[in-house]
Amino acid sequence: MAAPAIGVNGLRKSFGKKEAVAGIDLEIAAGSLAGLVGPNGAGKTTSLSMMTGLLRPDGGRVLINGMDLWADPPAAKAIIGVVPAEPRLFERLSGEELLEYAGRLRAMPAAEARTRAEQLLTVLDLAGDARRLVADYSTGMRKKVMLGCALIHNPSVLFLDEPLEGVDPISADVIRRLLTRFAASGSTVLFSSHVMELVEQVCDHVSIIDRGRIVATGTTEEIRGGKTLQQAFIDLVGSRAKDEEVLSWLGSSSS
Amino acid sequence: MARILVQLKLRLLGNALRASTGAKVAFLTSTVFAVLVAGGVFYLLAMLRGDGIAAADLTTVVFALFGVVWLLLPLLVFGLDSSLDPATLALYPLRIRQLAVGLLAASATGAWPAATLIGLLGATVGLARGALGVLIALVAVVLQVLFCITLARFVTTALAGLLRSRRGKDLAALAVIPIFAVYEGFIQIVPKLASEGALTASSFGGVDKWLRWTPPGLAVHAIWDASTGHAGTALLRLALLAGVIVVLGVAWIRSLGRSLVTTDTSTQSAVHGSALPFARFGLIGTVTARFWLYQRREPFALIYWGITAVVMVVVGIRAALTPDYLGGLLTSTAAGGLFVGNFHANAIGTSGPGFGLEATALDGRVGLRAYFSGQNIAVGAIAVPLLAAVSFGLAAVAKHPMSGFLGLAMGLAGLGAGLALANLFTVALPYPVEKRAGSPTPRPTSGHTGEAFGGFLLTLLGVGVAVTPVIAAVILTQSVPAAIRLPVLVPCAAAYGLALAWAGAWGAAAIAEQKLPELAQIAIQSTV
Repeated sequence: MAAPAIGVNGLRKSFGKKEAVAGIDLEIAAGSLAGLVGPNGAGKTTSLSMMTGLLRPDGGRVLINGMDLWADPPAAKAIIGVVPAEPRLFERLSGEELLEYAGRLRAMPAAEARTRAEQLLTVLDLAGDARRLVADYSTGMRKKVMLGCALIHNPSVLFLDEPLEGVDPISADVIRRLLTRFAASGSTVLFSSHVMELVEQVCDHVSIIDRGRIVATGTTEEIRGGKTLQQAFIDLVGSRAKDEEVLSWLGSSSS
Repeated sequence: MARILVQLKLRLLGNALRASTGAKVAFLTSTVFAVLVAGGVFYLLAMLRGDGIAAADLTTVVFALFGVVWLLLPLLVFGLDSSLDPATLALYPLRIRQLAVGLLAASATGAWPAATLIGLLGATVGLARGALGVLIALVAVVLQVLFCITLARFVTTALAGLLRSRRGKDLAALAVIPIFAVYEGFIQIVPKLASEGALTASSFGGVDKWLRWTPPGLAVHAIWDASTGHAGTALLRLALLAGVIVVLGVAWIRSLGRSLVTTDTSTQSAVHGSALPFARFGLIGTVTARFWLYQRREPFALIYWGITAVVMVVVGIRAALTPDYLGGLLTSTAAGGLFVGNFHANAIGTSGPGFGLEATALDGRVGLRAYFSGQNIAVGAIAVPLLAAVSFGLAAVAKHPMSGFLGLAMGLAGLGAGLALANLFTVALPYPVEKRAGSPTPRPTSGHTGEAFGGFLLTLLGVGVAVTPVIAAVILTQSVPAAIRLPVLVPCAAAYGLALAWAGAWGAAAIAEQKLPELAQIAIQSTV
């Protein structure tokens, strides 16, 4: 049996007394488009940072295509792409320069990096803004150019943290189609999100994380269990609605 | 509305005292400084009593200076005072007139408006004569303060859209370079001229010829006219000043109406050229390209270069005018190396979250060596011509042009040491930085000032030690003819500096390889 594209065993991280990730296990098969969902503060970003070599874990292992990420970070990083949650990059480069820079950092020949940058900008609908500084981009444009940076070296595994946060529906559709196509070619995608509809639509594998622990993992159908993913998620994590009776004044037309 | 906005301003001032220790210290420092300015200016103006028309000349200069400060300061601190930006109030159902009165009242609240009023009231003692003179002086000072506030409001509101934009903030930030240059010139040159008797109240006689027709000049000369028995002319000048304030007020209110419903479109411009320069020269060329573009496009990089140039000139210029010019020249170029090193001693922290992209792509120690080398090449490409220009410029002022080579030799050694220490401190003493409203350059986040200060002291020490061999070589070869001395000294110093920078890049790469995730986390915490 082939090694999973992403294998995580007992990954954990604490910040002071707070245990952000409490020993998670995951297995994502190659060619899968997987979602990591959870409420705010559940440990999604911390987990993804440790899986991409940006945050040293307190314990556990991360295997990318069978390679131990923390044993040989450069080798594992060479085959992954990362789109962080915070849409901030090198703000004083133009979109075109940024993509070329990302390609050249990955040791791509200059001409190839430039060609791929142009092609990605066209597909991401940024060709018209290619020479504007990233500092002047909207949130959606930043997310798209970051996706371009993560894809330019054609990674076999792509990690995305909240890829559609603050993105307009047109841009979201572009990103969604690109990810689906990327996974259909045999590459693997793992993204975190709290937009259940998106995960339900595009993911074939879902893991639910809450308070630093994986509370459910499996195919989307298994996790849903005949319900909507939103309902399944609330059933697993628990509703945190507060008593709204105190807002009895809300909704009346008078002030 | 005026009451609500004044309360808002007072609440914001009060909250500053409850904020972080840094904010508290900044607030208290500003308040103490305002008190000192109020007392100092009042004393200065009051001391002019008996100087006749020369007193009017100098008072005009002081009034005009306050006008300029009120014009420039809001541009620099835009975003620091929420009550300055009309957009923060655009959501509320307020009429323009209500808003204007409220914003004007909020502007007049605080330590600095009070300091302006109290300081300028010194004219009632120094310039005014007789009851009518004092009465006109009181009205003139109030009108001058009103003029300052209205002018600041008009300019801030007219430029609010631009100042909220990236390009506007960039331009406003760069204004700090001439301000720093003027400040340095003022504290270095003015005391010297005054102590030598070359600067007295009568030195400002010529300036007043045209300043008297500006609004501050109208206020001062109204006081002078009333004090010398020309009450009619005084009233006419005050009426003219009031007219200027009314015109400014009307323009401000119109601008306020526009600013609430328009946005800035100055950020739609594109950069020139599509290709990343030097990218064909491998990873070193690629990183050089990124840092090279940042040195040109990032406002705080330009500010750092401006400050370095000003410091070098200020350090060397006084000595350049004396027979002991060589010490000043060598100190100036060594200071250049020190400042270049210090300003780049937290390159990863100031790169911000973008470093995450680099951290996921750089391939081990070799890649990191290329990263630090590329950074040094980009910085060196600007620093070397700057060091040469200042060194030969100072040598020309000293009328010993060949000494420029000695300054350059010192500068190259200092630069190599500065860059090496910058590389090492970038990985050994990294800290996250944040961009705060009102500050043109990023500052260490709360709790990390120690690293920044420690880095500066160690860079100072390190550069000082590293340039000692060059100082020794300059002293020991004094008797050697320049034709032999300089062709040996300059290349040797350049090779020495290059070796130091190379060693710094290698050492930094070895350290960074072991702690790349930690460095990435520090960069991600930065907000630049």
